[in-house]
Amino acid sequence: MTTSSFVDGSEAIQDSMAQVLELSPVESHLHPEGSFDLADHEVPTGREEIWRFTPLKRLRQLHQETPLDGTDFAIKVDAAPGVTAVSVPVADSARGVSGYIPVDRVSARAWAAAQSVLEITIPAEAEIAEPTTVVLTGAGIENAAAGHLLVRAGRFSKSVVIVDYNGSATWAENIEVVLEDGAELTFVTVQDWNDDSVHVVTQHARVGRDATFKHVAVSLGGDVVRASTSADYIGTGGSVEMLGVYFADAGQHIEHRLFADHTAPKTKSDVLYKGALQGEGAHTVWIGNVLIRKEAQGIDTFEQNDNLVLTDGAMADSVPNLEIETGDIEGAGHASTTGRFDDQHLFYLQSRGIPAEEARRLVVHGFFNDIIRRIGVPSLQERLTASIEDELAEHVGRLEL
Amino acid sequence: MSFVEAAKLADVPDGGALAVEIDGQEVALVRAGDDVYAIRDECSHASIPLSEGDVEGCEIECWLHGSRFDLRTGKPLNMPATEPVPTYPTQITGDVVMIDLSADRS
Repeated sequence: MTTSSFVDGSEAIQDSMAQVLELSPVESHLHPEGSFDLADHEVPTGREEIWRFTPLKRLRQLHQETPLDGTDFAIKVDAAPGVTAVSVPVADSARGVSGYIPVDRVSARAWAAAQSVLEITIPAEAEIAEPTTVVLTGAGIENAAAGHLLVRAGRFSKSVVIVDYNGSATWAENIEVVLEDGAELTFVTVQDWNDDSVHVVTQHARVGRDATFKHVAVSLGGDVVRASTSADYIGTGGSVEMLGVYFADAGQHIEHRLFADHTAPKTKSDVLYKGALQGEGAHTVWIGNVLIRKEAQGIDTFEQNDNLVLTDGAMADSVPNLEIETGDIEGAGHASTTGRFDDQHLFYLQSRGIPAEEARRLVVHGFFNDIIRRIGVPSLQERLTASIEDELAEHVGRLEL
Repeated sequence: MSFVEAAKLADVPDGGALAVEIDGQEVALVRAGDDVYAIRDECSHASIPLSEGDVEGCEIECWLHGSRFDLRTGKPLNMPATEPVPTYPTQITGDVVMIDLSADRS
């Protein structure tokens, strides 16, 4: 909020008016104000609220001092016709345009260390069905590296951007997404890393008036993946849908932290993350948070996380949060479930003559299909269904066709 | 069996714990009179170093949430921890504490 409308007032009057109207920023307990200055981000001990679920010992010092100057990776960009994708030096880049300010130490370090910014720009009013893809392939975990991606969707454009991670890397990253008024963007990240990769990524989206942002996170690979994703709004009518699909195997730590910051009236957010876990030491973390600020009247929000624990030894942490500063809201809610196979589902399927193993597969596919069909990118949907089938082969059994 | 040197006996405080790292494994050495116990230096509940906790006889307490573990077996004696912490056999040779990390007794 700005106080510039008080044309005639002295600063003192402006301040007191701001106080009466409670215009001062509300601090979210999970998302303290950010800072570009590394000195403001102390090295976490692991007991901080925002770090307590993350296995710091396995982060390879990304949160401490390890240099982020590695170059053992390749980036391949395939821009759809009409979309521009260029890598520009940090000094010439438009980074920061989303209003993002690093909220944790890894993000602040990645911000300071990044040498260039990959800028993907979708021109205004362009309707581009073909996805723009960025494939990052890591070639080694020894030298940690930092990256920065900026995606800008021009007003009233429609487009899809997919970022695909594979190979082995120790990767710290900031991603900014800006949707101008009326833009529609589907932004997908696919974590298909080898089992030795560590990836800490912070993503922030700024959503313009009546813009529609669909964020899809697919997390399958990696030793430790920690993805923090936030969105705020600069105009009324903005809508954010965040979908997540994840599958953790033995020893994997997959953590998603979501934050919908309702900074404008009549905005929407809808978060749904579904994951399955299997094997000893498989650990998933889902932290959902929504802040409904005083000025964000008439908003509608829902967040949900479902976890399916397929074997013993796996652990799912799921913490939905809701911070509400206004009473005038359309809807606000959240839900979280963590459970094993439903014996009644299995019994029903078996009673129809379906073998136990096949019944378990069907239940898992049913669990995920509900979210996969909402992604709306056909090639990705097929790939995901196949990936889940591969994951299931390990513990639940593969269907012999 | 492969016992390796973990610490000098004199460095392990009686009734207290000493954190050491052997082959990348963090271990808490705990001395109770003439005996020295070795337990993985990480609570099975919230990954807190056990060596920072209080020792009472054959028990070590995680300071953050208060779970106590039996140093001989690694078993948790009270909530919130429910899973055991690995323990390792030790030997005292002269003034040196030896530990066998290959014999994880979890």
